[in-house]
Amino acid sequence: MDLRSEIKALIVSELNLAGLDPSSIGDDAPLFGEGGLGLDSLDALELAMSLEERFGVRVPEGEEARSVFRSVAALADFVEHARGARTVGK
Amino acid sequence: MTARIVVTGMGLVTALGTSVGETWERLVRGERGLAEVTLFDTEGYRSRVGGQVRGALAEDGVGEPSWSRTTAMALTAAREAARDAGLDLNARRARPGREMRAGLVVGGTVGGMFETEDLLARFHAEPGAREVLSRMLSHPLTATGDRLERELGPFARVRTLSSACSGGANALIVGATWLALGLVDLVLAGASDALCRLTWSGFNALGALDPEPCRPFDARRRGLSLGEGAGFVVLENDEHARARGALPIADLAGWAMGSEAYHVTNPEPTGAVPARLLDEALARAGLRAADVGYVNAHGTGTPLNDPMEARALRAALGDGLPGVLVSSSKGQLGHTLGAAGAIEAIVASLAIARGIVPPTGGLETPDAECALRHVLGRGEPHEVRVAVSSSFGFGGMDAVLVLTAPGHAPPPRETNARAVVVTGSARLGATLPAARMPELPDGELDLARARRLSRASRVATALAARALRTASRAPALPRARTGVVLGSAFGSVDGSSAFMHRLFQKGPRLVSPAEFPNLVPSATVGHASIYLEQRGPALAVADLAASGEAAIAQGLELVQAGLADQIVAGAVEEASDIVERVLVALFAGGGATAARSEGAGVLVLEDEETARACGTTILARVAAHATARGESVTVPAPRDPSRARVVAAYVDARLAAALLGTGWEGVPRVAVGPAAGDHEALGAISACVGVELVAGGQVDDVLVLCADAQRAYALVLVRP
Repeated sequence: MDLRSEIKALIVSELNLAGLDPSSIGDDAPLFGEGGLGLDSLDALELAMSLEERFGVRVPEGEEARSVFRSVAALADFVEHARGARTVGK
Repeated sequence: MTARIVVTGMGLVTALGTSVGETWERLVRGERGLAEVTLFDTEGYRSRVGGQVRGALAEDGVGEPSWSRTTAMALTAAREAARDAGLDLNARRARPGREMRAGLVVGGTVGGMFETEDLLARFHAEPGAREVLSRMLSHPLTATGDRLERELGPFARVRTLSSACSGGANALIVGATWLALGLVDLVLAGASDALCRLTWSGFNALGALDPEPCRPFDARRRGLSLGEGAGFVVLENDEHARARGALPIADLAGWAMGSEAYHVTNPEPTGAVPARLLDEALARAGLRAADVGYVNAHGTGTPLNDPMEARALRAALGDGLPGVLVSSSKGQLGHTLGAAGAIEAIVASLAIARGIVPPTGGLETPDAECALRHVLGRGEPHEVRVAVSSSFGFGGMDAVLVLTAPGHAPPPRETNARAVVVTGSARLGATLPAARMPELPDGELDLARARRLSRASRVATALAARALRTASRAPALPRARTGVVLGSAFGSVDGSSAFMHRLFQKGPRLVSPAEFPNLVPSATVGHASIYLEQRGPALAVADLAASGEAAIAQGLELVQAGLADQIVAGAVEEASDIVERVLVALFAGGGATAARSEGAGVLVLEDEETARACGTTILARVAAHATARGESVTVPAPRDPSRARVVAAYVDARLAAALLGTGWEGVPRVAVGPAAGDHEALGAISACVGVELVAGGQVDDVLVLCADAQRAYALVLVRP
């Protein structure tokens, strides 16, 4: 499974979006607010925790988080970058 | 009853002291009790500072299984309140029969969590450990109330309740309601909550902890600081106080409780519900917005709460707001969760009694979004005649109290207990040996809206929705007049165990922020009120095996006293591996009963006049309701014993003894337990069965009875 699909599956399972097909989430679709998945700030916290557990990356908070949590594509880019940075650092 | 309700005694345990005097002196000096917490290791958390109680607490009974830090603080504060009110409790006990009818109301959230959380984590890994089982017994939510009852009783009525961070305020409201309905002569009401790793980790996961001591209303605020403590007051009618020579400190003149029905952790940003509750509480007190001199705000210091609260105050107090002093005690005491509402009601009373308004600790640069007349640095001398105390909790459960100088508000309107009818009923029983509730059918709940609900919350919400289908509906019944009360003996034990295990295994960064709000005892009620859009009172109550009965009693009182027109009341009790093992260990050798099962039942209780005005079908009429502690209850006899039934969990010798010599002695008995299983929601299911019997037309009168050695609840339902 590629990283974007993995993150979509994680969103559906960790946020209890029962009945939602992970593959129906668009890579660039907004995750929060109206017009997207309709997730809220509590979902963002839960998702950040799940990403840290699954991928070992520390998700930023505050304003910085806003762009990271924009879409599945943005999350995947962040995870890839953060994992890469960690590998280089070893 | 038309008498004023007065505060005649107060007791406090806070990070600033273990008495009212000590706490108050340091509060007005601007001292802050927020320092590094030493009760447990805070390494790896956002914050290491909190309002830990450092002073000596009541020590008698230390080492007993039911003893917890929460209970020690509660007992210390309750004793001070009783002493302050001039109550000689021992003398009261020495004169049985001549004593006043006293009530006890205890609020709180965590109970004995601090003492059991390491055990919960261990239990998850090794469920058979005997030592763990024997020490787990401090977990029932009633432990603090039971202890206070033993030390300070007897009490004619006892209630343990939770509504998360508004529980302390709601304890005072329930006590005032009992006085207004004439059910008791005097109430000891308050709340207690100790610091523990579960709440520390939960608020940490929510990103809600300020790394520095919190700064309510400050532009640089980053969150709350947790604290611990207890606050208790003695409330009584002014005539009763005068007759025994007790001096009022302040009057509890107004109160209101309600729900935002918005979000489990985030406040509804406009503050519409807190503003409405402030209006309602002032109206009950017979006062206007312009009369308010001081607001002791909820003021947690989180980015979302403080501006919301400023908006609510602006909406409710209008043009008069610039003249109203506002401060939050949480910058000095921390957020003491379930205890906060009781502690802060005492602070507001002291501001009235002493003529000084305490400051907001940590506030230096007020946020422009929180433009209020703040008190900075130290207490400000100011004559306060009318003070407001606000409390907002998880699930959007809010409460507002109005306190006044003695005799300042106009005499209260008369509170006549309103007639109550049942307009809906639903139950979900498990039949042994399956012992598990059937799964909810697909489509019963909108799963997108119910995605945050635990299984217990889903069952309770679905049953409430079923019961409400026949009950009165909007627009005749405004949502603000509808509420929900649910009983649970233990809260979410298995969920707390899994949470603590994860904390100990993976560390504070990897506990679930979304799971945490599901672990507070009021989670189920909060979720139900949000899903069902009930914007009136929402409370969780507990009374061990009679938790369902306690919820129905609480629902009845709210409707009788006019705090709501319609309340869904009942209980849901889930099977729990932990509870079962503990109970089996507890009763081993003593003729242990069959394995515990699970079930749920709810009634819709409505004001009779409202139901009739809405043209709703009335299933049964509540003809009488009585509750007692350690003695029998008296209810009117059935009109025709051959067309009556007694419904109880079990038909046994104890039931026979309770009915002996009453008009119900020869009435056929119906046992609910054999079919519905053995669990703490049985009383709620029994009430549903009683309603079904009356509504079905086979009988005219039903007595639903729970009478064990410590507690008795009787509900008489009759054909409308």
